[in-house]
Amino acid sequence: MSSFSRSAQQWATFARSWFLIDARMQPPGKIATMCSIRLQGKHKPIYHALSDCGDHVVVINSKHIAFSGNKWEQKVYSSHTGYPGGFKQVTAAQLHHKDPKAIVRLAVYGMLPRNLHRRTMMQRLHIFPEDELPYDIQANLTEELPQPREIPKKLSEYTREEIDAFPRLWTPPEDYKMK
Amino acid sequence: MAARSVFRSLWTSFAGLKLESRGTNLSSLRTISIEGQILEVPVGAQPPNPTAKCPIYRWNLQNKYNYTDVLLLSQFIRSDGGMLPRRVTGLCPEEHRKIAICVQMAHRAGLLPDHKPKLPEDHVPKRPKPKLNRYLTRWSIDSVKPIYKTGLKWCKKRMPVGHPILKNNVRYGVKPLYIKH
Repeated sequence: MSSFSRSAQQWATFARSWFLIDARMQPPGKIATMCSIRLQGKHKPIYHALSDCGDHVVVINSKHIAFSGNKWEQKVYSSHTGYPGGFKQVTAAQLHHKDPKAIVRLAVYGMLPRNLHRRTMMQRLHIFPEDELPYDIQANLTEELPQPREIPKKLSEYTREEIDAFPRLWTPPEDYKMK
Repeated sequence: MAARSVFRSLWTSFAGLKLESRGTNLSSLRTISIEGQILEVPVGAQPPNPTAKCPIYRWNLQNKYNYTDVLLLSQFIRSDGGMLPRRVTGLCPEEHRKIAICVQMAHRAGLLPDHKPKLPEDHVPKRPKPKLNRYLTRWSIDSVKPIYKTGLKWCKKRMPVGHPILKNNVRYGVKPLYIKH
């Protein structure tokens, strides 16, 4: 901005912003890519891996994420406690029931670069299962990001006029008992 | 073209009921009569291709609909969510299958909340099932097993998304359709 003084412009460029993402009815993978890009700072032209230019990201409604396909039943999250016989495998549905934040957290963790900065970037990621945010995080938010997936409308959400404006594709025969 | 009348209800009949009251010997006859009316539905828009046999081809919607187009799909389903027979709707076999699959996916995505099967009044669900949001589900929820060993990259067991019958749908972007995730 030309109206800013040099020091104010410098401060504005290197400030750490707080982004908000609503994960309702969104695939967790797409949410995770958006988070990982902003946590690393790759959305900024001043990006450098060593310059710690990542921002904070707040994800809300992580309890209401939507998986495509049958991934709730098919996707398996594995872990090992380190002890013999400690190999645990849980499906996405079971893991989500136990901890609604885990799926988004694990997805973002897997998308960040595998170096020592990853843990600090994960500390800057804040996931909330529902809409409620603590007041201090709410006060810090600067921008809300658009949702990656367009949520389709249910049949009950269409107005009477829209339903009537849609043409009838076929007419039933006269002697057929409808529905 | 004259307006096609839609026959709303077929029941024009007497249903005689015999009531035996315990004290007296009289049997009172109760008749229930339901009258059906042929309603005149006003003429809507005309199809751009009236000579085709299948309604989808008549309106040139061949490869253009998806599971999200609930206004289209709701015209081919019953009130409990089942598909209407092909001999009644007049759909060609491929389109009937495509619509059936899209209706299945729409049901699983929760886009048709009012078309659930009617349960008896005293039905109590055994345990509350978790309501998970999903979309583009190809297989039925109870029939799918978890993939415990996904395999290496060259032999990975993929998780299918969507349905290959819709692979010819019109795509307005450059990106190809990913069926195997």
